[in-house]
Amino acid sequence: MPESIIFIISQVNEKIGADYMESVIEAQGLTKDYGELRAVSGVSFSVPKGVVFGLLGQNGSGKTTIIKMLTGQVKITEGDCSILGVSPKTDPVRVRSLIGIIPEQETPPSFLTSIEYLQFAGKIRGIGDIGEKADWWFDFLDFADKKDVLCKDLSRGTRQKLMFAQAFLDNPEVAVVDEPLINLDPVMQRKVKDFLKSYTKEGRTVFISTHILENAQEICDKIAVLHKGTLLYTGKVAELNEQGKKLDDLFLELVSRA
Amino acid sequence: MFEIFVCMFKEEWRMHSTLFGNLNFALFPILIFGMAFMGAFLIPFTARLMDVSMLVVTTHSMYCIMGFMVGSFGIMGKEMMNRRFGQGSLLIHSARSLPVSERRLFFNFVLKDTLYYFMLWIMPFCLGFTVAAPFAGINIYYPLLLFVTATLAFLLGMSTVFLLSSVYSRSRTALYGILVLIGVAFAALYIVSGDIVRVMRLFMLPSEIFLNFSYPLLLTAAAVILILFIPAVFLFSPETHAGEKRRSAALYPLYDCLSRLPYIRGRVAASPSAASEKGFVYAAAQKELTIISKDFIDLHRSGIGIGQTVFSFVLPVCLIWFVLSVLSDVLMPEQIYMVIAGVTGIIASTMYTWLTEFESFSAYLFLPVKVSSIIRAKIITFSVLHVLPVVFLIVTAVIGGVLSSAIFGIVMALSVSYYALSIMVRYAGLKPSLMLYSAAFFLRYSLLLMPVVIFLLGLSFIATEFSLAALILIIPSYFLLKGSFVKWDAEDLPNF
Repeated sequence: MPESIIFIISQVNEKIGADYMESVIEAQGLTKDYGELRAVSGVSFSVPKGVVFGLLGQNGSGKTTIIKMLTGQVKITEGDCSILGVSPKTDPVRVRSLIGIIPEQETPPSFLTSIEYLQFAGKIRGIGDIGEKADWWFDFLDFADKKDVLCKDLSRGTRQKLMFAQAFLDNPEVAVVDEPLINLDPVMQRKVKDFLKSYTKEGRTVFISTHILENAQEICDKIAVLHKGTLLYTGKVAELNEQGKKLDDLFLELVSRA
Repeated sequence: MFEIFVCMFKEEWRMHSTLFGNLNFALFPILIFGMAFMGAFLIPFTARLMDVSMLVVTTHSMYCIMGFMVGSFGIMGKEMMNRRFGQGSLLIHSARSLPVSERRLFFNFVLKDTLYYFMLWIMPFCLGFTVAAPFAGINIYYPLLLFVTATLAFLLGMSTVFLLSSVYSRSRTALYGILVLIGVAFAALYIVSGDIVRVMRLFMLPSEIFLNFSYPLLLTAAAVILILFIPAVFLFSPETHAGEKRRSAALYPLYDCLSRLPYIRGRVAASPSAASEKGFVYAAAQKELTIISKDFIDLHRSGIGIGQTVFSFVLPVCLIWFVLSVLSDVLMPEQIYMVIAGVTGIIASTMYTWLTEFESFSAYLFLPVKVSSIIRAKIITFSVLHVLPVVFLIVTAVIGGVLSSAIFGIVMALSVSYYALSIMVRYAGLKPSLMLYSAAFFLRYSLLLMPVVIFLLGLSFIATEFSLAALILIIPSYFLLKGSFVKWDAEDLPNF
């Protein structure tokens, strides 16, 4: 293909934005009932490749439930979704093998050490050469001194680092992350934010759920606002920035109107 | 003060009803009542076969063990809650966040446990016995006395575990010293008296009160409980102060060791012939082997392996052995041995709960692993643990002079154990502790298991060799497990 055409395509892509790029996560009318309670109601969105997508909402708005549906941790009541073309409805194990997940609660098995836990997660995921990859993460997240400590004796922050490492151990195409920064100190938060931003530059995708709006505005390319299980808004952070709008103002406005 | 007590009471109820379902849990005392009511009619017949004092000691020992278990949960509750529910805790651990002293919390906790478990376990049992007494020809004095003595036995167990754990928190050596001292005293008394029932009556004072009531004895039992309990209140701290424990990496070496076993090859060979299917099965088998390695590390490092072996296997089977050994006047040694084997099979099946009870399944939620793979891994670990019942049955066969029956006993025990396991897996999946308090599950489990065991024991009474008929249980066990894998894969992963 001539270079001029490639240039034109890249310009067009930049103009029309990520919406027309390849989607790696698709959700159509996702609904989840827990008994009488409807936790998520008819949520649809699509996440293009190579972005940090933020799912924002208050506590109990349904963010974690959506993550659990996307990753096949709970059954979908209505609707469907797919990650990298695989539906968790038909093959939840395949979905979880393709992506990295950091759950809402950091729950590594109590009696494994940190390194054993990474080996455990790596074996289950079928990842080879775990030693070198694990060492890189221990150094990067600055907890190499906790390698041999039992998980039950780790602080919450260190457990969060461990969960981060297991999710990104093999540089998955898509990472689904629930409240990634919540237990980390400011220095580590900065490091993780920078990592997430650079991660997508290599064409990978990060789906995060958070209620910390400053973080979302800083690291997300695209956001969706969820309120009481329904989707109120999807849009690009760049557009908000261009308009000089703050994400927390938009969020409060949306929630108060709902 | 009273508010703390009420909140702790609600907490206990909600914890149980969350785990087992409101209705099922509420029905549990009714089930106990029914069993005690019907059991009372068997007492006159049992009295003809065995010494009543043995029955009394056994009943009180059971309540003492329950007190022991309840006390242990109180102490280890925070760790267990964290492992099962994520970041959870019990009110007893709230001294840091509420302006209440640890001692006051602990005092309320003991009061709550006493009343709660009196209502859950002791009252329904004693009421069932009381209501049945006039019809079964039993003097009403005995069931009424049981209310007092069973409660004392429960408190004896609970205060003992509180004191032992207080000692443990300060010195492991001191704890081991005390345990050795108790063991030596028990053995010495047994050697001197030659009567196990008499020794047990001495250790289990509430049962002595039941058999020979006197006020001085009652006061002595109360004093013993207080003597155990008061130092525990002063020494005990529910907060754990353990530092960071370090261990060298054992997962890979263990995995490599286990992978030499023919498990993966066997799973692949047994799978459908298509190459793609074999690939999936190979990957699943590797995951299962990883989980098995983790389970063994868990059992070793958590102390659950040793603790459960002693309290959930060795103690119960030894108790059953002692109880059954007094039937030697009416049963042949081979018949007694087969009963021991059948009961050992049932007790051995509960080893599945060791592997699942304190496991946090949240750790698997986000990993690419099926529930059926987790269950398969647990079954393999369960199978390895069956070395324990096999060794126990060989020992009892040697001591009982029925070594030639050992193989039949082992076949009976293993068949019963796997059959009971398959029922547990089919109906409770990775939550077999449902059996503890879910009336519906317990009934189903009992109805599917007990008639089969009784029938097989009947056959083995005719001729020991007939116990090989127990091998037929492989068929229902296989189909129950096969159905379970499909069933549990189709449901949401257990969220704790």
